[in-house]
Amino acid sequence: MRRAARLQLLLGLPAVALIFVFMILPITNMVEMSFRTPGVTEPFGNDYTLMHYGRVLGDPYYWGALGRSLLVATTVTVLCLIVSYPVAWHLSKADGLKMVILYALIASPLMTGVLVRNFGWMIIAALNGPLNQSLLGLGLVDRPLRLLFTQGLVVLALVHVFMPFMVLPINNAIRNISPSLVEAAASMGASRSATFRDIVLPLSFPGIQAGVTLVFVLAIAAYVTPALLGGQMVTYMPTQIIAELTGTFRWPLGSTLAIGLSLTTLLVVAVFTLATWRLLDRVRA
Amino acid sequence: MTAAATPFGDAPAARYGFGLLVVLLYVFLLAPLVTIVGASFTSGMLIEFPPRGFSLQWYGQFFQRDNLVAALLVSLRVGLITAVVTSIMAMMAALAGQAVAGKLGGWFQIGMVLPLLVPELLTGVGLLFFLYKIGLGRSLLGLQIGHILMSFPYAYVSISAALRQVPPSLGEASSSLGATGWQTFRLVTLPLVRPGLVMGAIFAFINSFDLYTMSLLLKPVGGTTLPLALFDFLTYEFKPTAAAAATLSILLALIGVALVQRLVGLQRAF
Repeated sequence: MRRAARLQLLLGLPAVALIFVFMILPITNMVEMSFRTPGVTEPFGNDYTLMHYGRVLGDPYYWGALGRSLLVATTVTVLCLIVSYPVAWHLSKADGLKMVILYALIASPLMTGVLVRNFGWMIIAALNGPLNQSLLGLGLVDRPLRLLFTQGLVVLALVHVFMPFMVLPINNAIRNISPSLVEAAASMGASRSATFRDIVLPLSFPGIQAGVTLVFVLAIAAYVTPALLGGQMVTYMPTQIIAELTGTFRWPLGSTLAIGLSLTTLLVVAVFTLATWRLLDRVRA
Repeated sequence: MTAAATPFGDAPAARYGFGLLVVLLYVFLLAPLVTIVGASFTSGMLIEFPPRGFSLQWYGQFFQRDNLVAALLVSLRVGLITAVVTSIMAMMAALAGQAVAGKLGGWFQIGMVLPLLVPELLTGVGLLFFLYKIGLGRSLLGLQIGHILMSFPYAYVSISAALRQVPPSLGEASSSLGATGWQTFRLVTLPLVRPGLVMGAIFAFINSFDLYTMSLLLKPVGGTTLPLALFDFLTYEFKPTAAAAATLSILLALIGVALVQRLVGLQRAF
């Protein structure tokens, strides 16, 4: 039996090797790359230097790209929460065939690629597209708005891309709330909205926290949407990193930027988690 | 007590207001997909919604574009290999995960989904340098490795969830009756986890089919995947051919959703 258990453990080796060799080693390797000198004929040199960190920290251009990424990711996260909560609440109350249909409506966009969904927004936001046609039809504008290649469209498309990542954890959290708590509140004379405000909303907080963290981390590192819908004029951190790596082949500089973006993300997530720690503790109590 | 129709009570105004809001949000969620599918059937020359007339000409156009068809074939091949390799590896890892006890078990679970927790951009950049270092830079094998790595957690999560549903007593009964470990796995465990296994393979395939950032960084010389080809196509010529190509990938996603529902139910999968 002992031997069987040890054999069973060995089955995990290929997966552990995959993740160690092709993920942990490469990321460690990338940290080393950020200290390399720039190359002359190669993408990097043989010596070590701190110059890339100095350069990134001292250049307002990179601060601008990072600031824009932070601003967009925060806006997307907040908007995503606002539009996802009603859907998650509604989904959590559904059952039977209705539930299956609603899950399918949320899963279908999730399983369709990001690029394909962004392309859909390109069509909708085109100069003579359905969005402009409706605005004109309603008399809200007198000539078509230029929506494509604006930051507003980037935000809208990102909210769409990440909405399922917010809906699903909140839905699970609301489903986990014991119905007896809601009944108890009602029997003690609380109104529906008071029950919602004082019981359901706080108890769904673990789902909100998971969704917010997930969406922020994904949104700040998103590349396709800003690259396709943001146009060439505005730079975000991920588009800048990819440009350094595949355009100008400055690998050490690209690594430094990638590390800077990761550390910033980690810092924001840590601050958010600590700030909401007490709230989460109160919910658990 | 029945569940409230809205968080704010059952007054008609609250009911209709909340209902309308939810419907609008679902419209928002589905609008891009409906628009693409609609635009792909236009008989006009421009990408537009609502489409002008009905025709299948853009699907014909798509299959006449050698570069788009080649990219579709690369995506399908890489996706299929990813699905097969990740589900076998994830099945093995999930069995190993059962044997890892205590705190170490928790770390093992986190390790297995690490590619999901770290942004694709960061993993892709690291992998790009690493593949060059070991001589696989800009090769199809390198791209394949990147796809297997990024899709592995999806297969692992589905399969280990399915494995947890199998009562351990079944395995014990089987071995007390004299079955070897392999016999128990083949005759008892495997049939019971098969839906989870197939679901894991579907998730791995769909994820691989959609990967963009990783594919862009690891793009092999002379080859490309459908999302990359589609991006280039959209940047240079904005024609309904792209809508036809995108509709094909929406169709794949819908087939995936239907299969997952049949196998284990969407609620358990998400």
